[in-house]
Amino acid sequence: MSTLRFVSLPLALLFAARIGLAQTDPGVQTASRGTGATIINPSNDPNGFTAFFNDGFNRFQEIETVSNSANTGLGPRFNSNQCSSCHAQPAVGGSGAATNPQFLIISSGVAPDDTLPSFVTATGPTVEARAPFFLNSSGEINTKAPNGGVEDLFTVTGRSDAGSCSLIQPNFAAYLAANDLIFRIPTPTFGAGLIENLDDSTLIANQVNNLKNTLGIAGTFNHSGNDGTITRFGWKAQNKSLHIFAGEAYNVEMGVSNELFTQDRPLPEEEQATGLPSACLNLSGTGYPEDTSNPTQTTNAAVLDDVSAFANFMRFLAPPPPGGVVLNGSQVPTSTIAAGSALFNSVGCANCHNPSPGVTQVSNFVPALSSVQVNAFSDIEIHKMGTRLADNVAQGSASGEEFRTAPLWGLGQRIFLLHDGRTTDLFTAIQDHKSSGSEATTVIENFNKLTTTQQQEVLDFLRSL
Amino acid sequence: MKIRVFCFLFLVASSASLLAQSQTPSLNSNSRDSATSSAQRPLTKLPPETILVRGAFSSASDSVTPVPESGTVSQDAFTDPYFGINYPLPRDWFQEYEGPPPSESGLYVLAQIGPRKDGPDSASMLITAQDLFFTPLPTTNALELNQFLNDHLQDYYKVEAAPTPMKIAGRTFSFFSYWSPAAELHWYVLAIDIRCHALQFVLTSRDTKLLDSLMLDLNRMKLPADVSATAGEGGGSVPVCIKDYAQDSNLVDRVDPIFTEHRFSPVPVRIIIDTQGKIKHIHFISAFPDQAKAISDALEQWKFKPYLRDGRPVEVETGILFGRVPHPVAPHPVAPSAVTPRATGAAVR
Ligand code: HEC
Ligand code: HEC
Repeated sequence: MSTLRFVSLPLALLFAARIGLAQTDPGVQTASRGTGATIINPSNDPNGFTAFFNDGFNRFQEIETVSNSANTGLGPRFNSNQCSSCHAQPAVGGSGAATNPQFLIISSGVAPDDTLPSFVTATGPTVEARAPFFLNSSGEINTKAPNGGVEDLFTVTGRSDAGSCSLIQPNFAAYLAANDLIFRIPTPTFGAGLIENLDDSTLIANQVNNLKNTLGIAGTFNHSGNDGTITRFGWKAQNKSLHIFAGEAYNVEMGVSNELFTQDRPLPEEEQATGLPSACLNLSGTGYPEDTSNPTQTTNAAVLDDVSAFANFMRFLAPPPPGGVVLNGSQVPTSTIAAGSALFNSVGCANCHNPSPGVTQVSNFVPALSSVQVNAFSDIEIHKMGTRLADNVAQGSASGEEFRTAPLWGLGQRIFLLHDGRTTDLFTAIQDHKSSGSEATTVIENFNKLTTTQQQEVLDFLRSL
Repeated sequence: MKIRVFCFLFLVASSASLLAQSQTPSLNSNSRDSATSSAQRPLTKLPPETILVRGAFSSASDSVTPVPESGTVSQDAFTDPYFGINYPLPRDWFQEYEGPPPSESGLYVLAQIGPRKDGPDSASMLITAQDLFFTPLPTTNALELNQFLNDHLQDYYKVEAAPTPMKIAGRTFSFFSYWSPAAELHWYVLAIDIRCHALQFVLTSRDTKLLDSLMLDLNRMKLPADVSATAGEGGGSVPVCIKDYAQDSNLVDRVDPIFTEHRFSPVPVRIIIDTQGKIKHIHFISAFPDQAKAISDALEQWKFKPYLRDGRPVEVETGILFGRVPHPVAPHPVAPSAVTPRATGAAVR
């Protein structure tokens, strides 16, 4: 009798808890919203950048090989072989897809001799991995030796186009055992050209404006170590421009050296030792950098190097259009979305997720990037997000616990949420903002003071973005 | 017997919640998610909730002199030795999570407290302090801060009561309240000057009766003697607060810090100058360790003219901004005496 009680009461408690969570994330909105189109109006493109967008769109989807093809330079270490494999959802340029392409990289022969890291799963998030600290010789975490660099998942070892290069993968099992591995999912790049074209003065004015709150929130910016200006791309706002990010991604994610990042990149551990072995250098046989501009090409777009082409593609992607929301098979009324928007502002989400941090400068590229309101739902500031989100990686002036307010435009069609893709559920993503050391705790408490109906309205609104 | 069953259940419930905490909380039933999170969270060698890699953070030249963020919520009371506050919490209230570290604009979250059970019928209290040496807002005291916030509320809020003086715990606060018609949430904001800072007690709830009673409850708070909505310059054993004291003719000897790294963050520093004119305490509100080192090496060599009050030298507390000026500093609307309003031109490279 009493044993029965032991079992059934906690069960009943669990049940009550689930019923209490009556609000439901409407989930990924599948109806097409036209995401992934260019922002350029072809009839108002005096400099002819449409051709550059189209060319970049193609190159962003090219699959790189190590040698002996039109697109060489992959590896020796990499996370994937194509920009669009990671930036795919809901269209080319976006975030990670529902099925993780990294899961098939080994079985499809892209990295034939590698072992699949345990955290790469078929339907889990597409990731890059970083070890916050180096391990000591006995495999224990050495908190005196911060690392934080990307640990590429795969190698070219065993590929027929990779000669005798033989590398071992990072010891992910050891990092995992030491609780020393964090993950980052791809950030979407729709509307990135608008974020790039916000002047620092606009962001600073917005920051002062944001300080007018009674929520305990006061963010800051990440800055370029080179010239001290505000940086804005990546989960910690660690990079200044799309060009720099494209160059770094080509190098770090795919192993292709280029005009911005000119050498093949060793792992952080290799960099501390002797670098890459010589049998793994110049595998393409073309010399360095593997990606250069192409002076003999005949069209203007084709003369560009890949990195410039990628940057053009992303820069000219339109912001993700908002759209209707379907919840449990029925259309959510627009009045509900409007109510959710008002609640989002009122509880204080908008203090960080600023619906519009400002208006772009005049663009020398295309009129469509000039003087436009940037409805990014982000202040582009970095905020202290507490122990629950902290990843212990410092980038620029962002500490282990600081993150850029994630722009929420396009959220309606996002699958994985938060920097490590830990959840697909909006409600969980919201609650994870709350922990010791987080600037957002008070706002989340305000959200939790809303009725279940009101919270549902906020979730519906978020999926309209 | 009954009690034993109860205890056991309590244990089960609390260990279940501990478990939920140590994993990244996932209320999510999505299978895609649980598949990955179990793979991502294996053996725990490092406590998962430890932050080791810091950027700019707060530190002080000694560990005995209280700093604003040394307040604690424990044994059912909020106490902050720097401000001389003691507030016994309402029954069954606690602090679930500590606030963030001080911001680079000098904002402190001193406490965030509420009932153990959160929800639509609950209330919560946020206690903040804004360092008046470094605020980028055009305010020189708590009254002005409340007035400024009241005047600049976002259009989705409505003022319920414009700033007005309010006696609490024997001291005069500035009180204003606003609400959100959409969220049906009300905010009561009580502000008071204590020692170079504007403190705010922000009460939030859907229920204004509850807020009224919580405001009454604040009468149980103990505050230092000489505080009010426009004073707080210090007295007794507390140094006198003087904004921008570290400049012009007050400064007898000054050596610029030599920075070894090229950083672009502002470094707000709060100092206490002793009666001999030497710096006796340095508080880096937000600094990288290399910045803090370079600045304290320099400040050790600074010498001030002692500040005289009634003909006798007294200790002075002031702020200096090193590094980069973070914001355009708005002009101050009025010029009161205690906290001297001068543009923060004291930024030193
Ligand atoms: C293995 C997957 C992967 C591949 C391949 C990849 N990326 Fe990414 N991308 C990421 C991740 C993860 C991030 C977030 C990184 C961070 O902030 O730590 C990201 C972020 C970005 C961003 C920043 C966008 C923003 O607003 O924050 C840009 C730009 C970008 N990638 C461009 C590219 C380009 C161009 C390529 C091809 C050269 C590429 N990426 C290939 C995973 C990938
Ligand atoms: C203190 C600033 C702050 C406040 C307040 C805040 N957020 Fe965030 N939000 C962030 C940051 C920073 C991130 C990125 C965190 C990470 O990935 O680790 C984020 C991420 C998110 C994400 C995930 C987005 C993505 O790209 O994966 C959602 C959804 C979100 N916030 C919704 C909200 C809602 C709803 C509220 C109000 C209830 C809110 N946030 C309040 C700063 C804030």
